[in-house]
Amino acid sequence: MTTLAALRAEAETLARQLPDLSLQAEAADLVHPGAAGRKRAGSGEQFWQYRRYAQTDAADRIDWRRSARGDEYYVRETELETARTILFWVDPEAGFDWRGDEDHPTKADRARVLMLALGILLSKEGERVGVLNGPRPAALGKAAPDRLAEDLLTPPSGLTPPRSNALSIVASDFYDPLPEWRARLAPLAAKCRHGVLLCVSDPIEHEFPFTGRTKFSRPGSLLDRIFGRAESVRDEYLARFEQQREGLQALASQMGWTLVTHRTDQDALQGAATLALALEQFGGKA
Amino acid sequence: MTLGPFLFGAPLALIGLIALPIIWWVLRATPPTPKAVELPSLRLLDDVDPNEETPAKTPWWLLLLRLAAAALAILGLSLPLYAPGAQSGDAPSGPVLVVIDDGWTSAERWSELRDAALIALDGEDRDTPAHLLLTAPRTLNTDPSERLSRADFTARLRSLEPYPWTVDREDALARLNESGLQPSRILYASNGLDPETAEPFVRALMAKAPLAVYAAPPRGPAAITSLSANAGGAIVTLRRAEDRSANDYFVSALTLDGAALATAEASFASGEREATATFTLPPAALSRITRFQVTGSASPGTIWLWDSADRSRRIGLVSGDATAQPLLSDMHYIRKALEPFASITEGDLTALIEDNPDAIILTDIGQIDPSVVGALTDWVEEGGALIRFAGPRMAANGDTLVPAPLRRASRAIGGALTWETPQALGEFPETSPFAGLTPPEDIRVRQQVLARPGPELARRTWARLADGSPLVTADQRGRGTLILFHVTAGPDWSDLAYSGLFVDMLRRSIAAGKGEAVADAEGLYTPRLTLNGRGQLSPASTGATPLVASDFGVTDPSETHPPGLYQGPAGTRALNTAVDYQPIIVEDWPSGATLLGDAEARTMRLAGPLLGLAAILLALDIIVALSIAGRFQGRRKTTTAAFLFALSAPIGLQSQPAEAQGFQFDPPRPAVQRDPLPKDIEAALDMRLAYIETGDARTDRRTREGLNGVTLTLFRRTSVEPAEPHAVNADTDALDVYPILFLVLPDNPEPMSETAIARLNAYMRGGGTLFIDTRAGGTIGQSGFDGLGETLPGLDTPQLTPTPDEHVLTKSFYLLSSFPGRYAGRPLWIEATSGTSRDERRGDGVSRLLVTDADYVSAWAVDDRGRSLYSVDGGDEQRERALRFGVNLVMYVLTGNYKEDQVHIPALLERLGEEGGVGDFENDGVLDLDDIVRPVRPGADE
Repeated sequence: MTTLAALRAEAETLARQLPDLSLQAEAADLVHPGAAGRKRAGSGEQFWQYRRYAQTDAADRIDWRRSARGDEYYVRETELETARTILFWVDPEAGFDWRGDEDHPTKADRARVLMLALGILLSKEGERVGVLNGPRPAALGKAAPDRLAEDLLTPPSGLTPPRSNALSIVASDFYDPLPEWRARLAPLAAKCRHGVLLCVSDPIEHEFPFTGRTKFSRPGSLLDRIFGRAESVRDEYLARFEQQREGLQALASQMGWTLVTHRTDQDALQGAATLALALEQFGGKA
Repeated sequence: MTLGPFLFGAPLALIGLIALPIIWWVLRATPPTPKAVELPSLRLLDDVDPNEETPAKTPWWLLLLRLAAAALAILGLSLPLYAPGAQSGDAPSGPVLVVIDDGWTSAERWSELRDAALIALDGEDRDTPAHLLLTAPRTLNTDPSERLSRADFTARLRSLEPYPWTVDREDALARLNESGLQPSRILYASNGLDPETAEPFVRALMAKAPLAVYAAPPRGPAAITSLSANAGGAIVTLRRAEDRSANDYFVSALTLDGAALATAEASFASGEREATATFTLPPAALSRITRFQVTGSASPGTIWLWDSADRSRRIGLVSGDATAQPLLSDMHYIRKALEPFASITEGDLTALIEDNPDAIILTDIGQIDPSVVGALTDWVEEGGALIRFAGPRMAANGDTLVPAPLRRASRAIGGALTWETPQALGEFPETSPFAGLTPPEDIRVRQQVLARPGPELARRTWARLADGSPLVTADQRGRGTLILFHVTAGPDWSDLAYSGLFVDMLRRSIAAGKGEAVADAEGLYTPRLTLNGRGQLSPASTGATPLVASDFGVTDPSETHPPGLYQGPAGTRALNTAVDYQPIIVEDWPSGATLLGDAEARTMRLAGPLLGLAAILLALDIIVALSIAGRFQGRRKTTTAAFLFALSAPIGLQSQPAEAQGFQFDPPRPAVQRDPLPKDIEAALDMRLAYIETGDARTDRRTREGLNGVTLTLFRRTSVEPAEPHAVNADTDALDVYPILFLVLPDNPEPMSETAIARLNAYMRGGGTLFIDTRAGGTIGQSGFDGLGETLPGLDTPQLTPTPDEHVLTKSFYLLSSFPGRYAGRPLWIEATSGTSRDERRGDGVSRLLVTDADYVSAWAVDDRGRSLYSVDGGDEQRERALRFGVNLVMYVLTGNYKEDQVHIPALLERLGEEGGVGDFENDGVLDLDDIVRPVRPGADE
């Protein structure tokens, strides 16, 4: 796991290279960046409706300008505006915090960097960013990236859904069987209409470059398996890997989410851009 | 257990070989360790069954490697012994007698002899006792009847060393008979030499029991048997035992501490048993040699110790004249000629005769004291050589102790009043000891004493001049010799003393003396250094006892008198091992004795090599196993890097000093860290300025900064490139290595010590220049030199004068009109030259003392970066002029009157450069200024 400073520095570099990100890129009429109308009355800038004065309303809430036109008293209501919440989640499993080669970062580290870069950009836009099931709730403002960076480095608990609607980004390698993932993601998908599955993988996992008598073990697991000739299972492995990816894509579509794949030997900027693109597409939907 | 030529010490271990098939089976079943790999995506394969899970086979070659290692280990543990000569176990068991020749002739092949003896018990019963008979006699001999167990026998044999004296086989046989031992088998490890004693000995042994003989005669040269030395070198005679091949050996001449002074080759022709090595050495080197040794041989017989009896003679010197000039004294020439190869004593004639030297040399003693004549005559008649040189005193007043009667005057040849020219040397007569020497043609004899002609004279003459008059005469007196050189020993009367011939003549004359060997027949010589059986010189062994001088040459080395150097009243005497020894190989051993060949006498213990080989194979196996398991792949990079680093580390270290030697072009602050040299050596290596420490730290620092400034300026502007200035202590440091010393006085100077003043005076007398700056020029109302007398009491001050306008200081580098320092217009006092004559001027005309108060060092002073430190009255312009004065001052001090003369060079050059100019002067014979100054153009006169 990288240090906070290294993570922050790398993410800042990435964030500088990316264009400004706006979740409302397609809803261009929004005046207030960062605030999205909630289609109901509440505190906000935009006019929502005039409604009849009720006994429970305070007298100073009466809009005299409107009320002067008739006999009724009217109260002016504005549309409820809240900042959007984006929640990040990094798979805390040992197998995710792993790398096949000293030259690349671990998968989890790469995921954190991408997420923090996005978080920096989003908080600049006034969005609320935080870690799903993190130690602190999502936050707004300038300190938000700092808090996000710190929270990203603390392993989160499970995938329990947030209390309110939020945009969730779930990073993992998704090697567990698909039904398992479906079960884990279902509650989340029920709460969050939109989300991204960020699938980070190591090049070795793509290539399976092993030959000869090999004892395989899984990080975080004490079990190991010996293959007399590792090359003989390669085809099978690759097929299954592909199958897993396809299944994952299908799962994301079913949930209405987006799947973003990234390899740690790829450029981090590329990953960040892909992720940003996926997020921007939600802007219209929101 | 015996198996062919192999014996097994622990045969039961061979049962282990049965385990080999089991090892084979286990190894086949156990596959090599797999590579271990981590893979998170393994989860994907959770339910996959590998279709080929058959264990990879152990490769056949790895199997073979492991089996071989196991087999070798088992074989090694069974302690095998390769002994082709071993008896089979069927022979009747009984005591085995081992006879060993342990004299010096065995030294060369001692290990072979010992190994041959070691196998005597191999193949016998465990309890078979061994008996040991050593043929070299000792005072306490080994008792042959002593029973030795197998272990004792081995230990005993291993501790045996050869002795540096010869074997005595008859004595050994007598000892054997005396012990009454009845061996069942005899092994004789013989040196294979001396058939006349060996054959009866072997026959006697065969009469007792079956005999096996192992003979190891020396292969190389057996011994140095004699040595003959003469004035020009030494000849060493070597003998060897076998004579079949032609071989070359080298003999080294060593000093006492083992340094080889010369090496000569001795070539044995095929069929020859004797060879000689000839050393040609200057006498001085010859006198340092204490032993000759055959190179590469470790036997006492191949060492010839050389004692002083052969080498140097003792000579007494008595001189008639006592001149103060050593190079003109007669003694000097004799001493120089004889010193390398004779020990010279000087002194009173009476004492010398008592000392009994080989020869006594008298130079120009007219009449020997009559009270001594008797003793001297006796000494000569007992064999001494009395060598006399003529001279003015002898010519005036001779005595009778001369070979031929002399005329009462000397004959001067080739003087202003004679018609004859100085005479050369004639040929030496055939009968003369000088015969064979070639007289150089350029020797001239200018004066000599003349012998009265007589019938005997021709016979007594050893050397004569070209005109036939005798130059050296000699006569026998008793057993001794009386020799007279008719000239002086020095160069007064002849050139003889200058030539090498003189040395040879003197040496041959001395050789007429008796030599010391005869002198002290009763002298007792105690052993000082003795040879051991390995041919090493060591302090005398405990059993060694002194030897009387007369016994040298007749005593054979033995335990009581081991070969070595013996110290006695007349130097050292040597007792050599192999004097006139004749090595003869025993060719025909009596039939019936089993002769063991070299191979049969050798055993080889195989356990060590076998176990070692097994260990190597196991190590190889580990490497192979690791590489199969893939443990080497990840590490290859780092291993290679570490290996490369290890390789490059020494290279890097070597390149370090090379860098440090790079030239540093920054002399005022050399950054190079050299080993600190002593200050005087450092000062002598590089020209540098120096100042005397006053003890006042601020003033000293200012002086140092000032001198740094001048040094920097000199370095930049002139070809004078001084090194960093030195601070010197006038009391202790060497002063004369500095061309100029600056003494810059603080405000309240302490008086200098007397030593310092005396040393400064010596420095100035020796040509040094002392520059004194009182720095008081800025003080108003007083002369800057007040108190100089108190500070430097007793300084040897020459007459001083203000610097004249046209003094060389004004033009030694820059042209200066004045010498401003920090203060302008201050006088600079230098040594007055007008009053002193030219002879008194020392130091090349450079003033010994310069005194000023203008505070130059402050004007010169710079900091580390070359920036000026102190303000100067006239600003930068005056500072520049002060620096220019500094340059001029150093130039003046360094070049002396050369610069003064240089002033006239343009005029001289102009004069010489003109065509025909010189001729013109010759023509009219008058030289006026116009001739020098006015350029003469060709054709201008027309």
